[in-house]
Amino acid sequence: MEVITGSVLKNMLLHAGALLAQQKDMVNSLNVFPVPDGDTGTNMSLTLNAALKEIEKVEPDNIGQLVSALARGSLMGARGNSGVILSQYFRGFAEGLADVTTEATAEDLARALRKSSETTYRAVMKPVEGTMLTVGREAAAAAAAAAEEGATAQQVLYAAYQAAAQAVQDSPKHLPVLKEAGVVDAGGQGLLCIFEGFVHGIEGKPLEYSALDVQPTAVVEKQEGITRIEGELVNKYCTEFLILGTKLDPDYVRSSLEPKGESMLVVGDERVVKVHIHTDHPGEVLEFCGALGNLTDIKIDNMQLQNEKYTEEHQHDFGSMSAPQGERKNIGLVAVVPGKGLADVFMSLGVDVIVPGGQTMNPSTEDLLRAVESVNADAVIILPNNKNVIFSANQVRELSDKPIGVVATRSIPQGITALMYYEPEASLEHNLEAMEEHKSEVKTGEVTYAVRATVAGDLQIEERDIIGLVEGKIAVVGQSTADVTRRLVESMVDEDSSVISIYYGEDQEAAEAEALYEELCEQYADCEIEIYSGGQPLYYYIVSVE
Amino acid sequence: MARIHVVTDTGSDLPEKIRQELNIHVVPLSIQFGDEIYRDGIDLSVAEFYQRLQNDDELPSTCQPSPADFQAKYLEIAEPGDTILSIHLSSRLSGTYQSSVIAGTMVAEEGIKVINIDTKSASIGIGLIAVEAARLIRAGIALEEILEKLNYAISEMQVFFVVDTLEYLRRNGRIGNAQALLGTLLNIKPILTLQDGVVSPLEKIRGKGRAIKRLKELARQVRAKYPDKDLSVGLTHAMVPNEAEQLALALKEELALTDDVILGMIGPTIGVHVGMGTMALLLHPKM
Repeated sequence: MEVITGSVLKNMLLHAGALLAQQKDMVNSLNVFPVPDGDTGTNMSLTLNAALKEIEKVEPDNIGQLVSALARGSLMGARGNSGVILSQYFRGFAEGLADVTTEATAEDLARALRKSSETTYRAVMKPVEGTMLTVGREAAAAAAAAAEEGATAQQVLYAAYQAAAQAVQDSPKHLPVLKEAGVVDAGGQGLLCIFEGFVHGIEGKPLEYSALDVQPTAVVEKQEGITRIEGELVNKYCTEFLILGTKLDPDYVRSSLEPKGESMLVVGDERVVKVHIHTDHPGEVLEFCGALGNLTDIKIDNMQLQNEKYTEEHQHDFGSMSAPQGERKNIGLVAVVPGKGLADVFMSLGVDVIVPGGQTMNPSTEDLLRAVESVNADAVIILPNNKNVIFSANQVRELSDKPIGVVATRSIPQGITALMYYEPEASLEHNLEAMEEHKSEVKTGEVTYAVRATVAGDLQIEERDIIGLVEGKIAVVGQSTADVTRRLVESMVDEDSSVISIYYGEDQEAAEAEALYEELCEQYADCEIEIYSGGQPLYYYIVSVE
Repeated sequence: MARIHVVTDTGSDLPEKIRQELNIHVVPLSIQFGDEIYRDGIDLSVAEFYQRLQNDDELPSTCQPSPADFQAKYLEIAEPGDTILSIHLSSRLSGTYQSSVIAGTMVAEEGIKVINIDTKSASIGIGLIAVEAARLIRAGIALEEILEKLNYAISEMQVFFVVDTLEYLRRNGRIGNAQALLGTLLNIKPILTLQDGVVSPLEKIRGKGRAIKRLKELARQVRAKYPDKDLSVGLTHAMVPNEAEQLALALKEELALTDDVILGMIGPTIGVHVGMGTMALLLHPKM
């Protein structure tokens, strides 16, 4: 195939989505740490699915529009670090094909792959080789070489695919942790799945099933609209539509609509502009845009009613997740927290909205954006409380109209410690500085089980073994949760320690936790020891020592 | 010969030994449990008070001394021509200062001059100013210079206190509801200060041990801020004598103090507002 048309490109993307959805469990199993979290495959698949839903809404004839929808959809649906990087990959891809209308040549494709790679490198602060970044870069290099030699678009794609496969194979050479664990890089493997899907698509293979028909995990359902809104919502009509015209100017539309609402996204080109805005005056918005061109695909939802309905249906799932909205605050707080007990703890420390999530359920950028928008405050600080959520949280800064700060808390204890330094009356900058400075004053321990056998340093770990992690690194292995937790605490406590807090998970017997508490009190008479029901899934115990 | 006297109130938490040594007079505030009214330190001991504070459902309240109480004390200790330095609780926390001002005008016609001093402080913060005043008087320093030194001490006074719970400050309206509700689920020890004579939260610390450590650090910061000056340090506690004594000894050494740390108990006047377990550290550089 000499060139790629819009419908071929769409087919390629659908194949990529289907293949990734099919193989996500395989990708998940490649986690370096054998802990039941960091679901790279699930995150990438959900992100791509969000993008596919978005491209369903545009005509495939125009490649520029198609890839723009791809970029936008993946950005809004980005989950976890791997999802965010993938969204940046598609953003670069869209930039590379922005001016292409009906047919993408071999050069166009090579350029788009180069842009994709460049954008991912720019997006991460410290690029690490042997990851998705390397796979994307090698694919781009091979594509460029093939295009230069006069290859067809299809040949360029093959070259990229083969280079990607080689880069995935080679990933353990760059990253000793992969070699030690006997796996290849999960994100790289995910990207390779996407390339493989592209190849199936360009070859015109029949699509066996659509990723869009599959509900990848129950998590998605659980997170939909979880933010409860109390009182009257400002800008409650979520208004979305397309403007069709000939000489449309997205920038003009954007600046004109800006004062009318929030959470605004205006994207497009001269012929089609997509508008998404939360407003109290959908009529005025439609009236204004109707004068610029033909309006189509108009959708207006009342978010207040949706939310009330949702809250009614789900209030027993997870309790109250949002503080009563009183006066407008100077600085609001949004925290990503797994489990009812931990949510209560965070609420008691002044958090306005809890986004349920963490280990296995990384909330999407859109979930976080929605939470941020629902806080009645001039500025909002997000506490991701998990290393896989920090990236999505940072994305919200670009999407929200409010000033947003992210304190890069990597664990629940870090989130709680950061909250000790929250001053409601101080400036956003002051709060961020203080919270960031002090968040690491606490040590984090976690107790969970191994999802597969592996070796970590000197430790030989079998599947289903109980493992204890300190700051995310495996430190203790054993057969019982009590034993592992005891040894984990021992490895964390030193002469400067004075407070030990234990948060036990949803699957943990309160009686065992209490017994452990009694034991620790005896052993560490100099320390204050506290135990709380955290209710978090998968992690039997979360321990903080300070 | 005309003399200068020092009068303070029971909000100063000065140990009786020091008061007698330096001849510092005290006027009690009253504590009211329901219909029963007790004069602080006279009808009610500190230990009795905390027992009732723990056990009674109803929260006691404090009542400032009346101008007549002050008038009686002023007339009792002073001769015509004498001067009284009447040193009191922050006027933004209590009406005690106001009563002393009125009493001052009442004894003026007897030829007694009362200089009312609003310390903008509480507990041993008032005590330190009273002690400083008594020592300067004893050293024969001129009144004008004494007042200058006291004003300096008041303006530079540093206040840090740790409470076990914000409940008492909240119930007495000394701190906002929103502030008080923060962190009630976890073992959080708030460190507070007085800003312009009003209670203001400074930091939140997990665990009593760490909070006491933090008090030490804050004291070291004050030391560093005034490298060339001697510091006057007071420490008071509500029924936690061991922790307080240890901290006092540690501070004397770490801050290289000439004088001992003045160690006192938080009496009923202040105790009503902060509750058991509180520790207060107050310090000022000497001019």
